[in-house]
Amino acid sequence: MARKRRRSHTIAGELNLTAMIDVAFQLLAFFIITTKPVDVVTNLDVFRPSPEKQSQDQSPAKIIRVTVFPDGFTINDRGVDSRQLTSLLGRLAELDTTQTVLIQCLNASPHGKLIELLDICSKLKLTNLSVVSSGGA
Amino acid sequence: MRKQREEEYLSGNLTAMIDVVFQLIIFFVATVNMQDKAYDDRITLAMAPNGKVDDKKDPRQVAVDIDSKGTIMICKTPLSSGLLTTILKKARADSRGYDVPVLIRADTLTKHEAVKKVMDACTAAGIWKIKFTALKERSG
Repeated sequence: MARKRRRSHTIAGELNLTAMIDVAFQLLAFFIITTKPVDVVTNLDVFRPSPEKQSQDQSPAKIIRVTVFPDGFTINDRGVDSRQLTSLLGRLAELDTTQTVLIQCLNASPHGKLIELLDICSKLKLTNLSVVSSGGA
Repeated sequence: MRKQREEEYLSGNLTAMIDVVFQLIIFFVATVNMQDKAYDDRITLAMAPNGKVDDKKDPRQVAVDIDSKGTIMICKTPLSSGLLTTILKKARADSRGYDVPVLIRADTLTKHEAVKKVMDACTAAGIWKIKFTALKERSG
């Protein structure tokens, strides 16, 4: 009896951590396996042209008109590819970054093309972007 | 007898506490990313590496998903443009005239026609500011 008591005295104050560590490692492994890295997303702000604003139109020189076609872009009615568009917009943005970019997007154009243009505008710090849709193909 | 009481004092039973702690951990891990679950995974976002990341999330924000076939969805529920207009009008009325941020998450291959429907619904609801979601960085 006396021997038994002495043995239990040595255990007192210790905690058997084996089971807890096992579970903790199981959880850790589970979360490492199931967690997938999160994509970094960005939000590109645009405005819809408000009907009230149309009456007090800006002078045409202050507006950059860009049209998005399924296979390319036009800037002020001049057909360009995305590299030329970047350089042309860059030159215009150097003058004034607050000028309105009126983006006209054709119904048949893929959304990726519009995002590409908005990305270019974001890079050039053009913030006044207005998106309108046009039906013609 | 005194010795035994001392032992009991030293070896407090932690099992219940550890159980509760694990329960809490599992609860928070399971509930923390509910917002992301509302987005449709089948939508492949277009890349926009130059866009800026805004960390603050507006609780009034309405996220509209558009898949590559042009189906308009909110929280994976397909909607007609009429219903979307009603929802956006309600959201605007609830925010007492303040701007309701509308987030359009469209697939890179979506025809602009479908995006136009959502933008027209926003215009009909009196919302002029729209955000397009794109990928800044693809993971892995």
